[in-house]
Amino acid sequence: MSNLYIELTNFTEWLLGLVAALLDWTKLGFLSDFGEWLQTAPVVDFVSTLLVAVIFLITAMMFGLCFIWQERKFLGRFMDRRGTQVGFLGFFQNFADGIKVILKEHIVPKDSDHRLFEMAIFAYLASTFMLFGCIPFSDNFYVIDVDLAVLLGVAIFAFGPFSILIGGWSSNNKFTLIGGMRAAAQLIALEIPLLLCIVSVVVITGDLSFVGIVTWQEENIWLIVPLCIGALTFFIAAVGESERIPFDLPEAEAELVEGWATEYGDVRWGLQMASDYFRAYILCGLFTMLFLGGWAGPEFIWAEAWYLTKVFIVFFFFIWVRAATVRIRTDQILKLGWRRLLPMAVINLLIAVALKVTGVF
Amino acid sequence: MRIEERRYTKADHFRPTGYILKSLQTTFKGAIRATKHRPCTILYPWERLLYPDNYRGRPGIVLERCIGCARCAKECPNKCIEMVDFQDAEKGKVKRPQVNLGRCMMCGNCAEACPTNAMIVTPEYELSSYSRAGLIFDPVRLQHPYKPGYEVNYKFALLSEIAAGGEVKTYAKNDPNVHDTIVLDGSKCISCSRCAKTCPANAIEMADTGEVNPKTKKPIKHPKFDNAKCVVCEQCVEVCPKSCLSVKEVL
Repeated sequence: MSNLYIELTNFTEWLLGLVAALLDWTKLGFLSDFGEWLQTAPVVDFVSTLLVAVIFLITAMMFGLCFIWQERKFLGRFMDRRGTQVGFLGFFQNFADGIKVILKEHIVPKDSDHRLFEMAIFAYLASTFMLFGCIPFSDNFYVIDVDLAVLLGVAIFAFGPFSILIGGWSSNNKFTLIGGMRAAAQLIALEIPLLLCIVSVVVITGDLSFVGIVTWQEENIWLIVPLCIGALTFFIAAVGESERIPFDLPEAEAELVEGWATEYGDVRWGLQMASDYFRAYILCGLFTMLFLGGWAGPEFIWAEAWYLTKVFIVFFFFIWVRAATVRIRTDQILKLGWRRLLPMAVINLLIAVALKVTGVF
Repeated sequence: MRIEERRYTKADHFRPTGYILKSLQTTFKGAIRATKHRPCTILYPWERLLYPDNYRGRPGIVLERCIGCARCAKECPNKCIEMVDFQDAEKGKVKRPQVNLGRCMMCGNCAEACPTNAMIVTPEYELSSYSRAGLIFDPVRLQHPYKPGYEVNYKFALLSEIAAGGEVKTYAKNDPNVHDTIVLDGSKCISCSRCAKTCPANAIEMADTGEVNPKTKKPIKHPKFDNAKCVVCEQCVEVCPKSCLSVKEVL
């Protein structure tokens, strides 16, 4: 149990006790019974879990939004300009954008498959928000810490291309369809090297939970040192998985208007756009936890601060790659995925197995 | 930067340096430079670039020098200069240029053509207005305090000298020895002296030719051109009723 859980459980107990006392004060029998039911353990557990989830979601979303700010400012410097200037250091640009997309009208294309069109974007966003729950900030600040957390996270991540393909198809638009197809092909091509890199980490640490992996690295060595090939492969695959330049084929603005999200408007589009950054944040978090020792670090600042520092540094490399490279073709992306990254991932896996078998770790 | 022709070969698959590492290095250097010093963009309303005095912003005029020759209006590529009536304190009713800055492209050709350097280029570039009428600058509004460097001067060489292969001299703008001249076809002239009345530079004088009109028994006068004063504004050529004046270009 993390500290957050314990504190919030106490808070929930106090809150529900207050509500029960208020209900008891009415002197109505059924309301008093309802108040007693509120104080039972399952309800307290449920409400406190909900509170933890909400707090965690908001925190993670705020840092995801910070990524957008970071990208704007750093990309500006890479391009010899200043980046956004709205508000203090450009911090209010996200809020301005958010207000703008919220005020827009929701338009459904006439000939689209309405139900799937409405569903696909929510499936995509839901999978993104669920991923937030899988990524712990530290061993004290997380939502869930199941034994198979890595597998769970990867499984939810693999849900993305599915909803993208459905969204692209149901919009009844050639651009969205091509974008959806490209997204599916690219994400599948790059997912396998990504998974193999994760497997190599799991082989060495012998643990499938993020807390276990980070604890192992805290005790032994940051895995980027023995598994440098794997880290490089994971990084390239992660850039591709988050659909960022140079692998932003599903959203090729020059060819496909806005890729698979062309027909989406209003806050759905805004959240889709933001969820690109949320996914990038999640992949940076994965990279940090798998290879950079997560929240491990000298204890003069909080573990969460260490974790976030590392995440922001990894995202700096994402931005750097974006500033330096151009978009590559579909066949090149698939070639890169299957013919370069996959062998590299396999070699990395062999190294991991060799290290484990020879008893180095 | 050196630009070289590159061809994509199969070996490039195994050579990531040229494709990724070099561009990474270039952008990183740029980012360091932009962070250490400053980005090349400026925050416009608060920061401004320093323009030199000969920056070609909106055209301006020094009314004391203007003679109303309308060469600026003829030279203007966008036809945004119009000669309008103007009440001068000394000279009375004269024509002076009015500029429609909505059409002006700030080429500075008017100042280049001006024989007296009355038309100047100014460093003013913030010209936005709430109406189109606000962009039309009449002669009074067009005035601008003069500073050395606002006038546009140039030097030129004669084609004939270059073709001859000898020594090529450079001449300054408005050099009276080499500028174009007005030529009179005396057989057509009817001595109406309109050219002399029109000339803004008072370069035309009606002079006796020595002949006498057989019908009216009066002496026949033909225009005589003072090349030192002439600014080649061609107003006399335009006004001549019998088309007996023409411009002879210096080549």
